[in-house]
Amino acid sequence: MTMLDTEVLDAPEMTTTLPAVVRSDSPAASARTVDAQRGLGDRVFFRGVSASGMLVLIIMGAVGVFLAIEAKQALVKAGPSFLTTAQWEPDRGRFGIAAVMIGTVLIAVVAVAVALPISLGASLFITEVAPTWLRSWLIAMVDLMAAVPSVVYGLWGLFFLQGNIIGLSRWLNTWFGWIPLFEVTGADPTNPLSNASVYTASAFVAGVVVAMMVMPIACVVMRQVFSQVPPGEREGAYALGSTRWGMIRVVALPFGRGGIIGGTMLGLGRALGETIAVVLIISPSFKISFHALEAGSNSVSSLIAIRYNETSGIGLSALFAAGLVLFALTLVINFTASWFISRSRSGEGSEA
Amino acid sequence: MRRSTERARRCPAAAALLLLACLFVGGTSASTAVAGSYQRISGEGSSWAANAIDAMRVNVKKFGITVDYNPSGSTAGRKNFLNGTVDFAASEIPFQFKPEDGSAPENPAPGSYAYMPVVAGGTAFMYNLKINGKQVTNLRLSGANVAKIFTGAITSWDDPAIVADNPGLTMPTRAIVPVVRSDGSGSTAQFTSWMISQHSDVWTDYCNRSGRAPACGETSFYPIISGMISQAGDLGIAGYVSQGFAEGAIGYVNYSYALGTQFPVAKVLNSAGFYTEPTPQNVAVSLLKAQINTDESNPAVYLTQQLEGVYTDADPRNYPLSSYSYLILPTKVIGQFNEDKGLTLGAFSYYAMCEAQQTSASLGYSPMPINLVQAGFDQIRKIPGVVVQDIDIAQCKNPTFAADGSNLLADTAPQPKACDQQGALQCADGTGGLSNVPTAVLASATTPAAGGSTPTVGATAPAAGGGSATGATTPASGGSTPTVGATAPAAGGGAATGVTPVAAGGTGGAATGVTPVAAGSTGGAATGVTAPAGASATGVTTPAGSGAAAVDPGVVGVTPDAAGAAPPGPSVGAVSPTGCDADTGLCAGGTPTAVGGVATIGAVTTTTLSQSSGWGVSVVLLLLVAILTVGLVIIPALAWRHLSTAGSSLR
Repeated sequence: MTMLDTEVLDAPEMTTTLPAVVRSDSPAASARTVDAQRGLGDRVFFRGVSASGMLVLIIMGAVGVFLAIEAKQALVKAGPSFLTTAQWEPDRGRFGIAAVMIGTVLIAVVAVAVALPISLGASLFITEVAPTWLRSWLIAMVDLMAAVPSVVYGLWGLFFLQGNIIGLSRWLNTWFGWIPLFEVTGADPTNPLSNASVYTASAFVAGVVVAMMVMPIACVVMRQVFSQVPPGEREGAYALGSTRWGMIRVVALPFGRGGIIGGTMLGLGRALGETIAVVLIISPSFKISFHALEAGSNSVSSLIAIRYNETSGIGLSALFAAGLVLFALTLVINFTASWFISRSRSGEGSEA
Repeated sequence: MRRSTERARRCPAAAALLLLACLFVGGTSASTAVAGSYQRISGEGSSWAANAIDAMRVNVKKFGITVDYNPSGSTAGRKNFLNGTVDFAASEIPFQFKPEDGSAPENPAPGSYAYMPVVAGGTAFMYNLKINGKQVTNLRLSGANVAKIFTGAITSWDDPAIVADNPGLTMPTRAIVPVVRSDGSGSTAQFTSWMISQHSDVWTDYCNRSGRAPACGETSFYPIISGMISQAGDLGIAGYVSQGFAEGAIGYVNYSYALGTQFPVAKVLNSAGFYTEPTPQNVAVSLLKAQINTDESNPAVYLTQQLEGVYTDADPRNYPLSSYSYLILPTKVIGQFNEDKGLTLGAFSYYAMCEAQQTSASLGYSPMPINLVQAGFDQIRKIPGVVVQDIDIAQCKNPTFAADGSNLLADTAPQPKACDQQGALQCADGTGGLSNVPTAVLASATTPAAGGSTPTVGATAPAAGGGSATGATTPASGGSTPTVGATAPAAGGGAATGVTPVAAGGTGGAATGVTPVAAGSTGGAATGVTAPAGASATGVTTPAGSGAAAVDPGVVGVTPDAAGAAPPGPSVGAVSPTGCDADTGLCAGGTPTAVGGVATIGAVTTTTLSQSSGWGVSVVLLLLVAILTVGLVIIPALAWRHLSTAGSSLR
């Protein structure tokens, strides 16, 4: 697919033919009515496609409505405090998503912060730098990275990454601990006997693992956009004596800005909803904390995954309410992403 | 059923005769399938008891019984039982009609369930602590210190209160990381219940600090404060504690998980002033004091446990956090549970109550005493569709059964060593999964004070089982003589599994020379090692073969403390019954099972714990991840490349 796109675009298409101007007062200006009857195949196709399209909308709407109905009991009971309460004790009437939402966003932000440079670099390398034989390899690799099940990433994070990323966490905490984001309560970098445990099971570790899942999605979108950089502009930049980096800076990056933003936001949407990898890694806590490196975090989807099994009644309704908020947030982010992508010059070419 | 519909679906186009034939074939195959075999059943619940239940599941496979079990925590088990999505549940605590922690009450339909105690065990405190780079295996903690550690009141391993518990160790200045359960858990409920009963001030203070107040009663959901790690399931806790970076961590899990991950557990101080480990014998002793509800008219409480007596038991062998775990059986046909499944569940339950009890000790659990097995049999009768089995209870070969009806395992449980007593001494012996790895103790903690404090523990072992030979009566012959055999009580007709059959005190017991006797070190490393031939030894680890090797190295080092004046070398055999305490397994009480019962369950008594947890599994998982990555990335990429080049050459 992608190779095809590239080749088509590479084909020199220099001449532009404009349609002849039609004067509005000429008889040919009024719209021609098509009275040809559609054949059976056409009608079946038209109906089928319309039905599928509408079905997608209906399903999305139905999910939202279902969530809202299920969540109503909890939302009515909690009221606006649902957004400001940190604890999660629905049976006692004290529950809210303040802490959980902050944890969710923290994990997503870490994930995007890690994934954005990697995916941007990878997509630029694939479209602009890599030799052709390597290009198809890398494209396949990145696509397949998206196909690896998230539980596999989760296990990798739990058993391999968590133990090995402690050094980085400790370094960040030691030198940037004065920034609240990198602060760790209970950490004592000067003490050789201090525990490494404070750096484990954190939003940071979970975020890095989620980044591995976000990266391919963002990378695909960015690569699509970069592959549509008009060859004329690209060659023009070279013709003016630009280096490869110069060409990327003045042509590719500005052209692909919408794709970069859109791909990042799509990744953010995925990061917000990632469940099993987060469940495996974090140590769930219900405290409002902006300390990304500190042990103990939470996310909406992992809360649902952990708790749905052992709650009923109001507790279940509260989980639906949390799910509804996440649903709305993801929807907003995804719409924003597609808006950004469609606004970029590449237009409909990107599959978002 | 499905087959028949599929066949039917294929038929319509064919002739009517063919259609009839199709239906006939499909129908017969479906009906024979129901009559001839067990239906697959599923359970969910306790991860505390999961190792025992998993062993049962594996062992009933050969009868054609397939049981699925999801160890997602007692709370989830009870809830899904109520929802009717599983056929049975496993839980440490009964249904919570009036939960004390403010959670929603559980309201099962009256008469729709029955409790059946399935296994006993100890909630152990597994820890990861090193002193000068060497793993500590003999940590001791008083109950108050345990409570304070898990409530954040004690935060460093060199806290004076912990130092006082461990006179033989130079405690490091390292922060304590309590690891607790993140899911709804019966062991959390048992643990908090113990804290509320014994250290209520510590718990109340914590309840206030953690924001749980005013609902400060027993809870399945541990309140968490900063500095704690919470993990899902016993396996999650054991997995976290056993990681290299988790130095300083301590978590509460079932004893079997410590054995499986080969990590030590803390010895906990009991009311008699001894630090004990939740060995199968100690748990058996402790649970003699558990009050079991015998009000058969009220199924909501029948057979449930009251553990106050266990907490304060004055027996020196008591382990205060011992408890039973239960299967919750359906007694009515509800939801997806039907009589066909009842047939399977009944057969599985009979196996669990009878034969499975032989092997539970080798996993780190304690077998059920005879009165609860009998009560369990009565509960099984209530399952709809069950085929009632008339089981001669003596044939169960349960290690707790004595001819006179007493609890053999408890009667023969070895007394703790003198160095396990609260005071200036500390045993060097390892615990839990590292029972064979002693930890060097300070010299001041090894020498008994002159005119010492009654180190005659071995001699005072209560020989309640009648004339059973205890340690004191054993002739201390050669140094290498495995006197363990001699300590085997005569009562149960058990076999003394000694390499030297001469030493066997057991009456009718076939003393098998083939049994790999690892008298000394049991428990821990033991799980997973299969004994050769039919004679698999319960609770016995090292397939040592020779008596000399069987003696735990840890015991040797400590002998002087235990026996007082006895010379170190040759006396090892003589004091080995005392040594049995340190080494958790069945050096005395458990051995009778080794021979007789095994034939019925086959040579395989192993569900290898070591494979299901700890670093072993992480290596396996990493390999799996690697293989998956290769499979999902490299190979498709090759295929992709091949296909795309083929495609472009076409163009």
